Amino acid sequence: MIKTVNLQKKYTTDEVETTALVNVNLHVKQGEFLAIMGPSGCGKSTLLNIIGLLDNPSGGEFYFLEQEISKFSERQRANLRKEYLGFVFQSFNLIDELTVYENVELPLIYLNVGSAERKQRVEQVLEQMQIAHRRNHFPQQLSGGQQQRVAISRAVVSKPKLLLADEPTGNLDSAHGQEVMQLLSTLNEQGTTIVMVTHSPTDADYAHRIVNLFDGQIISENVKELATL
Amino acid sequence: MLKNYFLVAVRTLRRHLGYTTLNVVGLALGITCSLLLFLVIQHELSFDTFHSKADRIYRINVDKVTQHGPSYSAGTPYPMLATIKASLPELTPATHIFNLDEGTITVLSTNDKVAPQRFREENNILFIEPEFFDLFDFETGNVNAKQAIAAPNSLLLTSTIAEKYFPGQNPEGRMLRLNNEVNLKVTGVIPDAPANTDLPFIMLVNYENSKKINLFSNDTWNSTSSNHQVYFALAPSASVQQSEDRLNKITSELRRLSPGEKERYTFQALSKVHFDDRYSNFGDRTISTTTLWAMALVGLFLVLVASINFVNLATAQALRRAKEVGMRKVLGANKTQLMVQFLCETGLITLVAVLLSVVLAELLLPFLNKLLDLQITFSILNSPAALLFLLAELLTVTFFAGFYPALVLSGFQPISALKSKVATARTAGISLRQALVVVQFTICQVLIICTIIVHNQMEYFRSASLGFDKEAIVTIPFPSGQAKKLMALRPQLEAHSAVKNVTFAFAAPSSNSNFSMSFRFDDYSINHNFNLNFKVADEHFVETFGIDLLAGRIYEKSDTMREFLVNETFLRNVGITNPEEALGKKLLVNGGNSEGPIVGVVKDFHVGSLRNKIEPVVISTWSSLYFTVNAKIEQKDATAALAHLKKIWTSAYPDDVFYYEFLDDTLARFYEDEQRQAHLFKIFSFIAILIGCLGLYGLVSFMVTQRTKEVGVRKVLGASSGSILVLFSKDFAKLVLVAFVLAVPVSYYFMNKWLQDFTYRIDISYWVFFVAGALTLLIALTTVSVQALRAAFSNPVIALKTE
Repeated sequence: MIKTVNLQKKYTTDEVETTALVNVNLHVKQGEFLAIMGPSGCGKSTLLNIIGLLDNPSGGEFYFLEQEISKFSERQRANLRKEYLGFVFQSFNLIDELTVYENVELPLIYLNVGSAERKQRVEQVLEQMQIAHRRNHFPQQLSGGQQQRVAISRAVVSKPKLLLADEPTGNLDSAHGQEVMQLLSTLNEQGTTIVMVTHSPTDADYAHRIVNLFDGQIISENVKELATL
Repeated sequence: MLKNYFLVAVRTLRRHLGYTTLNVVGLALGITCSLLLFLVIQHELSFDTFHSKADRIYRINVDKVTQHGPSYSAGTPYPMLATIKASLPELTPATHIFNLDEGTITVLSTNDKVAPQRFREENNILFIEPEFFDLFDFETGNVNAKQAIAAPNSLLLTSTIAEKYFPGQNPEGRMLRLNNEVNLKVTGVIPDAPANTDLPFIMLVNYENSKKINLFSNDTWNSTSSNHQVYFALAPSASVQQSEDRLNKITSELRRLSPGEKERYTFQALSKVHFDDRYSNFGDRTISTTTLWAMALVGLFLVLVASINFVNLATAQALRRAKEVGMRKVLGANKTQLMVQFLCETGLITLVAVLLSVVLAELLLPFLNKLLDLQITFSILNSPAALLFLLAELLTVTFFAGFYPALVLSGFQPISALKSKVATARTAGISLRQALVVVQFTICQVLIICTIIVHNQMEYFRSASLGFDKEAIVTIPFPSGQAKKLMALRPQLEAHSAVKNVTFAFAAPSSNSNFSMSFRFDDYSINHNFNLNFKVADEHFVETFGIDLLAGRIYEKSDTMREFLVNETFLRNVGITNPEEALGKKLLVNGGNSEGPIVGVVKDFHVGSLRNKIEPVVISTWSSLYFTVNAKIEQKDATAALAHLKKIWTSAYPDDVFYYEFLDDTLARFYEDEQRQAHLFKIFSFIAILIGCLGLYGLVSFMVTQRTKEVGVRKVLGASSGSILVLFSKDFAKLVLVAFVLAVPVSYYFMNKWLQDFTYRIDISYWVFFVAGALTLLIALTTVSVQALRAAFSNPVIALKTE
């Protein structure tokens, strides 16, 4: 599904050039659950943003669904994003002015899904995430765990092929964190490919494979021996 | 999708009520002003456009060229209509109109036991030919007006006047007496004349009667009055130029022009009458297209200032929306979709502002009408043009105010937006926001400077020495041709201790009623090619008005012209430097009928508005041309003096209505239009400043919030509250200064041009600019301080915690 060849990312300001990623070669298969770990500033989020088509690499090749897309325009990337990708963030990033229902509905609106189908799909996801009873609440009226469940609902309502999670439990207590990880795990079992950035070894344990990043380079990979794979 | 935009917009606006209020109030103020100005401009442009032949109706004007410059008049000689009817068949229908701008109406009673009622009317009574109704399309209701006005003594009343004279009765067939001269029969009641005509009237009288009322009317080509004008429709196939040429050719032998004098009859299109201030009209009001443009510009300025607020506030708080923008982009929204979303939001704010301004405009219109002496009516549902204007304004304001913020917001990179690491664009060290604030300050300062200068010129009008005394002088007109009755009562008039001086005259020294004459001077061999402004008055005139006598004496009492006084300008024009030299020299006037010596020279005084130069003046006696009695009274005893004058006056004219006016009020009317402009300037500069302050207040409050951490750190490091205040004020002070540098030349240019209209005017002194600059600085810094103080006195610990 995803393949990077010698992927590079540099940030340049007036005086300083910072290298965030150095020759990263990564392959993610369909249906996989991958965790990216590493200390702060190692380039995890940068890598996730590039995989999430939120950012362009400075060098190397990037294949998404067999397509080389490192030179895609913002509009082309936006189209791919809304069709194939779902995002979950540490800080939830729900839109404060929209209700739970409306937040979850938003990706479908951008996909031009008809209103009847939209309603049905949103309701279904909200039920699945056990948050339907809060559908008319605004984000600030919910607990952190509930907010993250709404964010996950929003990420999966468009049935993305790939779900990207950036420290999804970072702002949650352990009980809520575990709940969220369980949800991701279930989604993965149902066929969604997941790439997750995390600090937490516990969270990483849910993944099939862990990639360790240090100073912008992949330094090690652990593949979990799982009978279920 | 639109529903979603709408939802978010409504909720965002409701959540940030302060921001929304600032924007809506600012925009609503701006749009209200622009709407009101639009209504005024629309009203002015609509004058006499409702006649079906409007595009081919013309007025005959007289353009003269003399060696002392051009002169323009809309008054045509009395035989003009007969001539064009006889020789210019393409000028049809045609009518002459005589305008009586004040008169006494006696409602004759049908019953001998009831005393007749008297009214004094100061609005136009028009004397017309029946063809008036073929030419113009005034509403006549059920009356066949052309037929109704055909009989020699017929009279059409407008409904308001009919109700005033004959409340609840049918006036048809009733008799009225006009100026105690002619009896007229009411032959119909027609609707009131519309507000947007330069031919306003309260009643219409058959033209023949004007000959009995108008003292000057005669059948010569040498006498004109601006109250006598000719209108006609030009046949569609005819050419203006050719017909004009023919008229001038036909009449060239009828007119007696002095050598060197050039005079031409010109056709002025009806559509120009309202806008050409060289010629007067019966509505007594023209408005220059320059003034209309100035109004449009002020309206545009106000909307611009309000839109700038919007841009500034929206971009200043873009940060707040960054997360939402980021998330929408992550979810696949493209730039266009986001721009549409933000434009919708701007549209919503603008829509609320527009709706509010419709209500405000309806509430404020009566005040504007009063201020400008207009009768504009406005109901949004009945004004398709206003509706269209508002729609256009909604769209343009939305676009111009919303486009840049939408561009900025939608241009955020999704990752940085989510992390709220966005900075607004800077070009060459000056942000667009700063540039816009400079534009606002420039507009405000230009308006303040203009207001001060206009105000100063008005003050100058009020206080400038006119060369005569205008305080506590009351002017009382009396029926024309009947001066003798009151003159006989002079001892009684002067008998009251509060009445100091009394003089009978054609008019006051400075007046709208002037008349001019050609003349011969000294040995009559030299042709002095200029007209005299003739002041006809009794021997008390100079003393009553406190005019300085430079040489000789005042003329003797007389009923006809025997001796003359002249002014300094007259002497200059005939080449005499020493006033004494003029004494004894002969003057021949009144078409050669009156001759006499110059017995005295008076100091120059103004004969009209300060717009015009002082003219050569001759003063002499001629009792049949006295129309007013002017009394210098004791200011503190004015009531008693007036009561006394009224008593004597009424005993002389028991059948007329007593009426008076103080001279300084009469003189103030010369500058009515300028006064109105001055008021308008004041109000709109105030509103512009208010809108600007609203924006500044909002902007600074956001900056204070944004720089909370900076302020916290500075305070921890020992900054005083004062230095924090300076920190915020410094930036804005710089912007005011830049705006000042821009505002000075712009306002100097325009005001210098405006002042050129007045022969007597103030100099633009430099302090005006500094006052305006200082005032703007003061207002800006006060506004900034209100918010900056909040930052200055904040607790640094709390400030730092927020990060």
